[in-house]
Amino acid sequence: MESSNTASAGKKISGSAKGYLILALLVVVSWLVFKIATPGNFGSPSNMVSYFEASLIAATGAVGFYFVMVMGMFDFSIGANIVLSSIIGAKLATQFGLGYPGLILGCVATGALVGFLNGTFYVRLRIPSMIVTTGLALIYEALANIISGKETLPTSMMAFGKMPGNLLLALAAFVIAYLVLNYTKIGTYTYAIGSNEFVAKNMGINVNKYKVLAFVISGAFFGVMAVLTISYGSSIVAVTGMASMSRNFIPTMGCFFGMAFKKYGIPLQAIIIGEFMINIIFYGFIALGAPTAIQDVITGLALLIIITLTTRASKGEIVK
Amino acid sequence: MSEVRLQVRNLCKSFGITKAVQNVSFDINKGEVHALIGENGSGKSTLTNMLTGIYTIDSGTFILDGKEIHPKNQVEANKEGVSIIVQELGTLDGLTVAENIFLGHEDMFVKYGIKNTNAMNRRAAELLKKYGFDKIKASDPVENYNFEDRKLVEIIKATYFGPKIVVIDETTTALSQEGREELYKHMNRIREEGNTVIFISHDLSEILDKSDTITILRDGVYIDTVKSSDMDEDSLKKLMVGREVTGAYYRADYGEKISDEVVLSVKGVNVPGLIRDITFDLHKGEILGFGGLSESGMHEVGKAVFGASYDRSGSVTLADGTQINDIPTAIKHSIAYTSKDRDNESVVMNQSIGDNICLPSLDELANKAHLLSDRKLKEFANKHAKEMSVKMVNTDQFVSDLSGGNKQKVVLARWIGKDSDIVVLDSPTRGIDIKVKQDIYQLMDQMRKNGKAIIMISEELMELIGMCDRILIMKDGALNGELMRSKDLDENLLISKMV
Repeated sequence: MESSNTASAGKKISGSAKGYLILALLVVVSWLVFKIATPGNFGSPSNMVSYFEASLIAATGAVGFYFVMVMGMFDFSIGANIVLSSIIGAKLATQFGLGYPGLILGCVATGALVGFLNGTFYVRLRIPSMIVTTGLALIYEALANIISGKETLPTSMMAFGKMPGNLLLALAAFVIAYLVLNYTKIGTYTYAIGSNEFVAKNMGINVNKYKVLAFVISGAFFGVMAVLTISYGSSIVAVTGMASMSRNFIPTMGCFFGMAFKKYGIPLQAIIIGEFMINIIFYGFIALGAPTAIQDVITGLALLIIITLTTRASKGEIVK
Repeated sequence: MSEVRLQVRNLCKSFGITKAVQNVSFDINKGEVHALIGENGSGKSTLTNMLTGIYTIDSGTFILDGKEIHPKNQVEANKEGVSIIVQELGTLDGLTVAENIFLGHEDMFVKYGIKNTNAMNRRAAELLKKYGFDKIKASDPVENYNFEDRKLVEIIKATYFGPKIVVIDETTTALSQEGREELYKHMNRIREEGNTVIFISHDLSEILDKSDTITILRDGVYIDTVKSSDMDEDSLKKLMVGREVTGAYYRADYGEKISDEVVLSVKGVNVPGLIRDITFDLHKGEILGFGGLSESGMHEVGKAVFGASYDRSGSVTLADGTQINDIPTAIKHSIAYTSKDRDNESVVMNQSIGDNICLPSLDELANKAHLLSDRKLKEFANKHAKEMSVKMVNTDQFVSDLSGGNKQKVVLARWIGKDSDIVVLDSPTRGIDIKVKQDIYQLMDQMRKNGKAIIMISEELMELIGMCDRILIMKDGALNGELMRSKDLDENLLISKMV
């Protein structure tokens, strides 16, 4: 899918090149806006590297979440999954003395299990994924709270919170997501189900199985995101009352980029660059010292503008 | 005596209380094109959908080369040696041409769980070349191609593995002449290889021309299997309908003068990339035909008149000077439109027949307080559904349950109910059986006599010649000739202006 040029003859640049160009432009523009506004404490090369490092966290989750979104489903339990996974991972690493293997396996396995539960409940109960995952999010939050109110990683176990550990882990996640999407049946079926579930079913595709699988993949990648999250911040608090929902926003936003750039054949790349851009905007606001309320308003608007400009549904196309 | 390939035995299928197929038994031979005909809702598609695993069988069996088969989906049917080219679009957006061709069969390119995309593309490219469809690229997203080209992809998908039986379900109605010829070529090839084509079409001359054997179904019941060479259109119609189809099929009148009263005037209409500089007048009581190849732009003319085109320039003006630039204005000023793409643009699939019929007439049906009475809506829907003899349990039934032809009847019932003065019909008889076709033609004739003006866009040249007062031929997005109603008009004259 990557190398596919568009059929319309005469186009000078390929779809993917156009996509990269737009993404690069978005990054440059968002950098430039804040650089002009606050030249002193924003956007130096080393700053940009640290923004990029921070963006890797959400990007690892978002590339997995893409499988769920392409099929037309949604997940409101992202934050709860990250909290629960990182608490279990940290517990295995520290209290059970399993170290890094415990941390990674604990987070990824818990994430995948959460995904499996999301998918299974969604498929079995036959109710919208948004509702299923909202209900389950409450349970995951409570579960995390019962297991532990707060988990902290010792300083000796922070390798994935800094270079090069974080980059290597994120790269491994991106490569796996890319391979699964482009070089396995799962990727093909993900798009097929997203395009027309009925036809996909008629082609012998076990639609329910692949829907559950999409949630498992997504969950496992949120598990990786959990490793990076707890390593970056060193500790995690098991919140309740859907407070974990605030963690849904950034990976979801990155995923929107992926959906918008699907037509250019570079969805995963768009997610990674999109998350980077979102971070540039966030840190730009911090550099400006803008109040949180204003930051939220502008971030929300920026999201709408960017997605509108990049998606550009053709006239008459039905958008739901 | 030819060898039997498929034995259909005591096949039954019901949908709720509707018995779609009732105890049907017959044989299909090797090396033949076997046509299945019958009116809308006669059970043709239900039968082939069971054969290809799209529907489950209630009771009865299919015996293929002596072995009972029970496919649960199309891929299982493929493995048994049965494939299908469906009436509507059967390819999936978001996948490449190659991925569509091999959907469900990827395993042949997968090693250790990794799909060899290059090998898949190569194999698809070889097939595209072998079939003569080189213009289609294996690695392109399929959505880059138009309906016709995507149908060509489906032909490969359904036939590349040498199936014993290929079902072609009313595919030709969606194709232009060029696409049809391509399909006929492959039907012949399949027959010559000793395999079987099950061919469903409403075009009886096409059936007689292309098939060897014909099985007739009526109301889900098997009627007869006959040799095509022994039949003519009238005898087939009699078997399908169960009685003589009497009376004129098309209009019988010639030489009537078209009224001078212009009801709609189209001037210099352009839609970028689709149509250019379209100018014509539509007169009171006139049936104005638009003919051309599928991609000639004629379908866009219908949309442009109805205010449904995007980026349209030029003007569409009614006799009173009203400009039609959007759909609400068009409907308000008594213009009706039925799209060629019935399922996506005309019917609301997951709504009842009643809701579909009442939809554009809700303002008229509401009382002074703008409230709608259930009883009044039901009466309205019932009246017009019956007028069009929609085959249904009642008007509460979902449109998605209906056969293609019956959906079209619902669309027509909707606009008859609205009593529109200007009616734009795009491919009104596409996929419709002869009895209903005749009803639609008579209805059009009656509407014309009542002073309504009709624009009929059609790929069926005979119906244009048979029904229209005037035919405008389109080519490459522009008008390329005007033909007046005459006994001397023939298809060749139209084709010469189309290509």
